[in-house]
Amino acid sequence: MIGLDVGSTTAKKVSIEDGEIKYEITDTHNWKDLITGIDGKDIISTGYFRNTVPHHASVTEITAAIYGVRHYFPDADVIVDIGGQDTKVIDIRKNNFTINDKCSAGTGAFLEFVANYFKIELTEMGSYHIRAKRIPAINNTCGVFALSEMISQLVAGYSKEEVIAGMHYAFARRISFMIPEAESLVLIGGTVKNKGMVSALCDILKKKVFVPDEPQIVNALGALKYFS
Amino acid sequence: MQKKIAITALVPPELIYACGCKPFDVNNVIPFSKKYPRNKLCAWTAIWQEMLSKREIKIDSLIVVAGGDCHNALVDGQKVAMSGIPTHFFFYPFDGSSEYLESQFQKVSDFLGGIKAPEKPEEIMELKKIGLQIDKKRAAGKLTSGDTFRILISFSDLASDLDTFRETISLIRETDIKINNRIALIGVPPIYPDFHDVAQSLGLDVIFDELPFEFIRHSGRDIQTIARDYCNYTFARPLDFRIKFLQKELKKRNVDGIIHYTQFSCHHMLEDDILRSNLDYPMLTIQGDLPGNTPEQIKLRLEAFREALERS
Ligand SMILES: Nc1ncnc2c1ncn2[C@@H]1O[C@H](COP(=O)(O)OP(=O)(O)OP(=O)(O)O)[C@@H](O)[C@H]1O
Ligand code: SF4
Ligand SMILES: [Mg+2]
Repeated sequence: MIGLDVGSTTAKKVSIEDGEIKYEITDTHNWKDLITGIDGKDIISTGYFRNTVPHHASVTEITAAIYGVRHYFPDADVIVDIGGQDTKVIDIRKNNFTINDKCSAGTGAFLEFVANYFKIELTEMGSYHIRAKRIPAINNTCGVFALSEMISQLVAGYSKEEVIAGMHYAFARRISFMIPEAESLVLIGGTVKNKGMVSALCDILKKKVFVPDEPQIVNALGALKYFS
Repeated sequence: MQKKIAITALVPPELIYACGCKPFDVNNVIPFSKKYPRNKLCAWTAIWQEMLSKREIKIDSLIVVAGGDCHNALVDGQKVAMSGIPTHFFFYPFDGSSEYLESQFQKVSDFLGGIKAPEKPEEIMELKKIGLQIDKKRAAGKLTSGDTFRILISFSDLASDLDTFRETISLIRETDIKINNRIALIGVPPIYPDFHDVAQSLGLDVIFDELPFEFIRHSGRDIQTIARDYCNYTFARPLDFRIKFLQKELKKRNVDGIIHYTQFSCHHMLEDDILRSNLDYPMLTIQGDLPGNTPEQIKLRLEAFREALERS
């Protein structure tokens, strides 16, 4: 049995072998590579493409996230899943969820755009963030305006590092509006591998924040757990 | 020739038919529209504004429900008026005063040339009784959610012709439906024509439609009795009035969860947190924008809500 999360941006496969979690991640358009030789009846799917990929059963990312997070943090109250195209906030206590898929400022694609603009790798964003001496205030919570504000900050003399940190703060502020009162929260999704973004979010929320070792595969694991 | 009177929201059809005219609810065509209106806030008002101003719908005059309902309609209604269509603005009282409402209805009647068919309200009353039965049958699993919704929503203008409408509702076929989750749909009606069917296919059976229920529960025989009943139209009244009414109806129908449908750029979105804190049911809020079939992002929310209901 495998858990398969084919999201808007990446595809993730998880299996549990001898009690150990094994996973593979690829781009969404290559999802087929993850399941060569695997029968549909051995797949529990989740993610945007859950119903279009072969599967024995499917479950939404919301429910999958709850099951996946429980594996790492059994007492979690709130989950924030920041993926490629949207951000999902799940309040486990109230059995409630909200999805932001309208505003680009709250999605991984937004930070990807910033990285592309500076011609740096996404994986380097965190180290640029740490080197910032000042944080420029990016006031716009709308993605499109934030990008033009970013350019004016460069004109005003802020360094690349500082502007990147400013964008992480703008991003984190946008997300913080969605987060309910809670003592702690668990972050998952590919975008939370960006340490700069996580540190900005911690700073804004002033809450305990937990991140699993590999936050991107939690939903695939959750799908698997849901059916076993 | 009977005059065709467009209405933008609930204006008692009893009154329009009694004045010898036929009402036409402009909202009926919007879910099927392919328009991308210019200068848009809410797609509902923007689309009817454009269609009426460009004469894409043939009407004789327009009644805009401006007070106690929607400010977008008030502005878009004026644009239609400026395009040359005779337009009347109608205001519901916030305090529920039936005397005030009666004076408003008197003005509508004057605008339409006075009462000419005083027997019509009685006929409509009989049809609304059938509407209430249809609503009950759905809650008992005898009618599909979508078929029922389509009938109930048509009670705003009774298909512009009482005989045709009577015929249509007599054709509705009973079935046996296994209700999985009893859902109340509150707020404005979805702009997606397949919404009820999609929700039902995903295990969410809408058994209460807040606004369409308003369309069938008010009636009257003459201006005075119509005013006494319609003054309790919940959407025009203070929120606590509406909430009390909802609490009662939802309990009666034994609902499992609520879908609060809101529309992009609509003030009803501001009511979401108040409704959440006063209605003690799991609640999913969705926001629609342009018309068309239910988008995938909304289907995801519906499916996740079903899973949440089944977890609790
Ligand atoms: N090492 C990394 N550092 C920074 N960002 C990363 C890293 N790895 C992945 N990302 C970001 O994670 C995003 C993809 O996350 P994820 O795999 O959770 O998305 P998804 O599940 O496909 O999307 P969605 O849930 O919105 O459908 C990409 O937008 C990418 O920018
Ligand atoms: S959805 Fe809201 S803004 Fe749009 S017409 Fe209805 S009340 Fe007005
Ligand atoms: Mg995802």
